[in-house]
Amino acid sequence: MPTGVAQEMTEAAALRGAAADSARRRRAYARRYWPFVVPAAAVVLAVIVFPWAFTLWMSLQEWKIGGGRSFVGLANYQRLLTDDRFHWSILRTLYFTALAVVIPVVLGVAAALVFHRRFPLRGLARTVFILPMMATPVAVALVWTMMFHPQLGVLNWILTQFGIPPSMWVYDANTVIPTLVMVEVWHWTPLVMLLVLGGLASLPVDPYEAAKIDGATGWQAFRYITLPLLMPFIMVAVVIRTIDALKAFDTIYVITQGGPGTASETINIFLYLTAFAYYNMGYASAVVVVFFVLIVGLALLLLWSRERFKDAVR
Amino acid sequence: MTEITRRAALRGGAGLLAVPALIQAANAQSGFNWRRFAGERIEVSLTANPRSQILIQNQREFEDLTGIRVGSEQIPEQQHRQKFVIEYASGRPSFDVISISLHVNKRQVGRAKWTMDLKPLLADPTMTAPDFDFQDFGAGAVAYSTQADGRMDTLPEFTDYFILYYNKEIFQRANAQLPKTYDELYELAKRLTDARAGQFGFVGRGLRNANVVLYTSFLLGTQQRDCVDANMRLMTDTPDAIWAGEMYKKLLRETAPPGVAGFNWNECQTTFAQGRAAMWLDGVGFATPLEDPQRSRVAGKVGYAVVPAGPAHHHCCLFGTGLGISAASNERKRGAAWLYLQWAVNKTNQLRFLTSGAGAPARESPYRNEEAIRASRFGRDYFETLIASGRIARPGLPEIVPVTEFRDTLGAGLTNMIGGADVAAELKRATDAFRPVLEQSERAS
Amino acid sequence: MRKILDRIGLAIAVFFFVSPAALVFLWMLSLSLKTEIDNIAFPPVFIPNPPTLDNFRAVFERNDFLNQALNSILVSFGATGIALLVGIPAGYGIAKMRATRAAVLILIARITPGLSYLIPLFLLFQWVGLTGTLWPILITHLVLTVPIAVWVMIGFFESLPAELEEAALVDGATIWQAFRHVAMPLARPGITVATILAFIFSWNNFIFAMVLAGRETRTLPVAVNNMLTFEQIAWGPLSAAALLVTLPVLVLTLVAQKQIVAGLTQGGVKGA
Repeated sequence: MPTGVAQEMTEAAALRGAAADSARRRRAYARRYWPFVVPAAAVVLAVIVFPWAFTLWMSLQEWKIGGGRSFVGLANYQRLLTDDRFHWSILRTLYFTALAVVIPVVLGVAAALVFHRRFPLRGLARTVFILPMMATPVAVALVWTMMFHPQLGVLNWILTQFGIPPSMWVYDANTVIPTLVMVEVWHWTPLVMLLVLGGLASLPVDPYEAAKIDGATGWQAFRYITLPLLMPFIMVAVVIRTIDALKAFDTIYVITQGGPGTASETINIFLYLTAFAYYNMGYASAVVVVFFVLIVGLALLLLWSRERFKDAVR
Repeated sequence: MTEITRRAALRGGAGLLAVPALIQAANAQSGFNWRRFAGERIEVSLTANPRSQILIQNQREFEDLTGIRVGSEQIPEQQHRQKFVIEYASGRPSFDVISISLHVNKRQVGRAKWTMDLKPLLADPTMTAPDFDFQDFGAGAVAYSTQADGRMDTLPEFTDYFILYYNKEIFQRANAQLPKTYDELYELAKRLTDARAGQFGFVGRGLRNANVVLYTSFLLGTQQRDCVDANMRLMTDTPDAIWAGEMYKKLLRETAPPGVAGFNWNECQTTFAQGRAAMWLDGVGFATPLEDPQRSRVAGKVGYAVVPAGPAHHHCCLFGTGLGISAASNERKRGAAWLYLQWAVNKTNQLRFLTSGAGAPARESPYRNEEAIRASRFGRDYFETLIASGRIARPGLPEIVPVTEFRDTLGAGLTNMIGGADVAAELKRATDAFRPVLEQSERAS
Repeated sequence: MRKILDRIGLAIAVFFFVSPAALVFLWMLSLSLKTEIDNIAFPPVFIPNPPTLDNFRAVFERNDFLNQALNSILVSFGATGIALLVGIPAGYGIAKMRATRAAVLILIARITPGLSYLIPLFLLFQWVGLTGTLWPILITHLVLTVPIAVWVMIGFFESLPAELEEAALVDGATIWQAFRHVAMPLARPGITVATILAFIFSWNNFIFAMVLAGRETRTLPVAVNNMLTFEQIAWGPLSAAALLVTLPVLVLTLVAQKQIVAGLTQGGVKGA
């Protein structure tokens, strides 16, 4: 017994030692790869981390371009707390983001299922379908603007051909965000489709054969086999879409500049106007910092879910 | 002002055909040295509009005359206003000559002294050509270019008035008379609106920011006329302001096409050019595209008139653009830039503005040039409207620094009114929101 | 019978997905080939009759289009090249070290809106005196291209089997050689994805050049927006310019369709 205990103890110590050893080895191993990261780290420090630090400092200043600069502490943040226009811009951003994530993901999955099948001219159809993703947003946004004209736009003409009453598109406060989402959907559904298509290509065949033997319908096979297996890919699409929807600026700026009224003024538009139309650099920097905090929180959440789903895949 | 002298007409007519020769001849007489900065290179930054296009198209004239090379560009006004301010604030502007919308940036530029005072140059006979004839500029335009402290930091380039465009065909069909007051305009617009047939009595700017100048057109006709009082205190929630707001609301809500809340000048222009609106209130510069059969279905059917009167006064909105010289440029470049300014607003170019329908020149001589006016493709009523508007013009925006913020704040309220919101409440909200911004800005100056 | 219904359903679905993309581009093409009066006509004129090239002529006459195209090419290729140069090794290093914190930093950089970098970088360029050159635009585009390149590459290198490199190391190769001759060739699809995404982001970027570029350093997306002139509607030239700007990326897509689809689908999960 004592020998047994002793043996156990040495074994435990050996295990611990081995663990520590392996951690050390891993660190030593990791250290060898540092040089690979140095150039990128330098670039990131200069053009990314420096602006972050600078913005933080600026957010504590009262500074209008063309006027003086003075330290005001947290006054800009206090003002943000009571600025209704800013609060609304956050809500609008969330509204826009929610729609601009869900719709492309749903449509993208559906499109992937369609393009996964074989049919004549599939290559051509797929290429045309992914063109919007590559198109320059500003250029396309200008064309959309013409198409949205409530009386003379081609979209309303098409609607009336189908007997549908004309829409006000971006010319009405109630329809402007859904319309901008539509443009976003047009642009980015292809990306979701491609990501999910990759998932479909990697699906195993066995569960389907088993399901066929069990007499499952097509819908059941999709619901209980395809969808769960695709989930990690869909999650990735959700992550990418969330990031890009939060960042959306070009299209909104070119098509509506935040209008009608402030109906499509997202955080980005508010930020742009504050900095480059009202020249209020200090206040704009505070907006950036708050936006940034929101984003970092979201980033950590997304990263966490990504890791989780990756584990689930393996 | 309309009186013509034969000499002026001849001079203008000749100028149209052979400018460089004429100026060089003038040179030889006066001994003024246009070539003293030959070999210099200057950068010119203009707002994108038909006037700038004329200047850029003809800049060879200037280059041949002076030996100065010009790099010029035109950028959409919104971006231009933002960009030049940022560049000036940085201390290293990339341009030597700048066009400034006085109704937006005058105070800001004046306060920061970004452009140099031009009065000393004007007084210097070695720098200013003897035939420049500064007296020719309208007194109003010169006053608009002059800051409160007496510095004249831009040279007037052109003035812009809001006028009434109307569709003669629709008017004839309905046997309509030109409205004399805004109330008449509203009644008429209502009568001419037939939404089912796609015809609307009125169209005008509804988009936030852009819409404020349509609102102030109405406000100018009231007792108080302006947005701020003599002490720079905001007056946009008074009974007069509310009257103007009600006019804005009912006109755009009841007689303008659906979706007008998102209309800027370009949507208005498209609607009017398609013959779908009977009346349109906007700046003078739209005659060119409207009379171009390549772009417009109403070419030849457009009528021009002075804006109607309000309950107390009769004014039209005045806006203006001036050309300034960057104070940060070196001395030779500033000299070359001054020569450019003299050329840019010389009588020939100013006449080109008028006769091509590109806008109302700041000089008075083009309006007297009967021959050129007769040869123009625009009707007499166009020129008469310009001249009459010049007599009743009054700044359409307050001379304050944060103009863009003012337009955004008030403009959002106006857009809400088109959506049905209460006029008094919206004006109160906008006024309360903007008052502290204005007070802070006024304290700073 | 079921099979026929299925075929019809599929055809409708394909039509549903493809037509919006096709419609917008065809309408763009149509606008660019019509006269202004046809462009604002209602009911709309779809087929240009007769088609005119005036709009394209106007684009080349009015703007310094070729120079701006050159700027765009220099900036996009430069920003993409630098991003690959620093991003591929960095992705490799981070993947090998399992440096989660570095990865988070890159993700946050990827998420942060470009707009928020604009103010400090703008002031920085003023102090350094780089304004008026293409450098500020190229450098700000690194904000877009470096994070995306690093991020895509991390995913790819993480998914590579380590055995091959380890075998190379055992055979006496340095880690640099193992990276250069073993890992990099294996990650080629990832490099394709990183290149395409970085290039598109840079080529299509509007906001940086809008604020930072001067007359001679303007890129194409800004040039297109500059076709908007006060008091003049010019939908024809505008559409022509829009088409010309988008054309290179569209052609790239048509030519490299297979690689793009393969690269993106393959890189999907890891590339997020």
